[in-house]
Amino acid sequence: MSSMDERATSAQGQGKAPKFIPPRERFLELRGTISSKWAIILGILGMIAFFAIWEGGHYITPEAQQRFLPSVEQVIGTIVQLLSEKDYFSDVMISCYRIYLSFFAACALAVPLGVFMGCFIRLRALINPTVGGLRYLPAASFVPLLLVWFGPTDFSKLALLFLGCVFFLTALVLDNAMAVPKELIESAMTMGAKRRQVVFGVIWRAASPAIIDSMRNMIAISWTYLVIAEIVAATDGIGAVMMRGGRFLHVDIIMGGILTIGILGVLTDIAFRLVRRTVVPWAYVRRG
Amino acid sequence: MILEKRKKRKDLNAAAVAAAAGREAGEAPIKANRITKEYLGGQVVALDDVTLEIRENEVTAFIGPSGCGKTTMLRLMAGLEYPTRGEVSMYGQQIRGPGPERGMVFQAYTSMPWLSVFDNIEYGMKIQGVPKEERRARAEHFLKLVHLDDFSKAYPAELSGGMKQRVAIARTLAQNPDLLLLDEPFGALDAQVTWEMEEMVIEIIGSENKTVVLVTHDIQESIYLADRIIFFTRQPGKIKEDIAMDFKNGKRFARKEELLSQPGYVDMERKLYAMMREEIQGRIS
Repeated sequence: MSSMDERATSAQGQGKAPKFIPPRERFLELRGTISSKWAIILGILGMIAFFAIWEGGHYITPEAQQRFLPSVEQVIGTIVQLLSEKDYFSDVMISCYRIYLSFFAACALAVPLGVFMGCFIRLRALINPTVGGLRYLPAASFVPLLLVWFGPTDFSKLALLFLGCVFFLTALVLDNAMAVPKELIESAMTMGAKRRQVVFGVIWRAASPAIIDSMRNMIAISWTYLVIAEIVAATDGIGAVMMRGGRFLHVDIIMGGILTIGILGVLTDIAFRLVRRTVVPWAYVRRG
Repeated sequence: MILEKRKKRKDLNAAAVAAAAGREAGEAPIKANRITKEYLGGQVVALDDVTLEIRENEVTAFIGPSGCGKTTMLRLMAGLEYPTRGEVSMYGQQIRGPGPERGMVFQAYTSMPWLSVFDNIEYGMKIQGVPKEERRARAEHFLKLVHLDDFSKAYPAELSGGMKQRVAIARTLAQNPDLLLLDEPFGALDAQVTWEMEEMVIEIIGSENKTVVLVTHDIQESIYLADRIIFFTRQPGKIKEDIAMDFKNGKRFARKEELLSQPGYVDMERKLYAMMREEIQGRIS
C-alpha cells in the first residue's frame, strides 16, 4: 500500500507544491524582459554616459585647445545666451517652419503618389524607374542649381529640403502600399468592392500605420539636410547661426546648434509617435 | 454621388436578376467548361481541359495533392483569375471578375485589422449599400451564428486564429452570396479548432442552405463536409474521379464521430488515401 503512495500519480496534488525560483536574468540575457521603470533608468544612464564622455573629453583637452571642445555647461550656457541676447528663438522657429513646410509639401506629393503606384502596376512602370533613380542624387548637389534658379531665397531652401526627402518617401510609401496582403484586397473584391473602395478603403487604410512610420523616418532625414540648406547665403535659421559661429571659431555656438537640432529631432519623433497612436489606435491592439 | 450609388445598386441588382433567370432556366450554379489554365507561358499546366458542374445546395469538395490546381479552379470561380482557355459561368452568365454573389473565405486571415468584429461582418453589406437597419440586424444574426456575440467590439488582432476564421465566415455569409467558396479555410488552424470549425460549418450549411465549394487537402475533412468529392490529379490538373458520398445517404452529421461509425466510411477514407498515394508516388518515381 505504502509503495503505491510513493508512485507518481496524475491525480490532483495535495499540500504545498515545490517552490520554483526562476534563474536571474543576466545583464546580457538573450531577448530578455525589462520593466518600463528599468528601461527608462537605462535610457537616462545612456544619455548621462554620452554627456560624461563629452565632458571628460573637454577636461583632458590641453587648456590652450579647450575652446575647440567646450564643456556641456558652456554649450548650454551659450544656448541660453543666444536665446536671451541674439533672438535665437526666432532662428529656431524659422528652421522648424522650413523643415515642416517642406516636409509636409513632400508628403502631399509622395504619399498619394506612392499609394497609387502601389495600387496600379502601369503607374508604377511609368514612374518608378525615374523616381528610383532620382533617389541616388545627393541633395547637396541641387544647391548650386537652386541658387541659380531661385537665388538665395527662402524658396530655394524649402526646395532643397523638399527634394531631399520627396523621392525617398515615395519609394518607402510604395513599399508600404505593396506590403498590404493580397488576400485583404482579394477578399474586399469578392465582397463587391470596386477599384476606388479597394484603393481608399483597403490599401490606404491597411498601409497607414506603415506610412506614418515612413514619414517619421523621413522627417529625421529632413533634419539632417537642414544645415546644408541654411549654409548657403542664409541669414537666419539654426544652420546660419552655426555657420556664423564657425567663421569666428565659436565652437560653442556650433555645438549649441547641433544640440538644438538633436533636441528638436527627438521632440519631432515623440510627436509622430503620439500622432500615430491617435490616428491608428488599432495598430497597437495585441492579443492577451 | 447619390446617382453613382444608385447605379451601383442597379448593377448589382442586374447581376442578381440575371442569376435568378439562369436559375429558373435550370442552369447550374457553376459550370466550368473545358478550362485550361497555364502559368509561366505554358510551362506549368495547372488545369488541363477540365469540365465540371457544381450542383445547387450541395457541398462539393476539391481534393488532391499539392499543386493539383484545386485552388486555381476555385479562384477561377471567384473571378480572381481568368482561364487560359474555356469559360466558367454562374447560372449561365460568364464570370468575368469577382462579385459579392460569390463569397470567399481564404486560408489567410482577411479581417480588416482597423475594424471591430461587428464592423468587419457589416463591411461587405456596406459596400453593397445595404440599408443600415438591415445591415445591423443581419450582422447580429451572423455574429450569433458563429458564436462571437461576446467579441463584437474586439479588433481582429485580439482574436485567436479560429475566431478570425469565424469572422471571415460570418462576413461572407452576411453578404448573402449564392455561392460560398472556401479555400482551405482551416489550413492554418490546429487540429482541435479545425474540428470545431468543421462542425460549425455543418450547422451553418444546414440552417443557411448554401451551395458550397470547399478546397482542402484533408481527406477526413472532405468526407465529413462534402456531399461530393472531386479528386484532381497533379500537373497537368485533371479530374481523377468524381465521387458521390452515397454512403452518407444524404445525411450530414452534427458530430464528427458519428461519421466514423457510419458503414462505408472506412472504405471511403481508404479509397481516398489510396488515390492520394497513387498521385504522390507517380510523381516521385
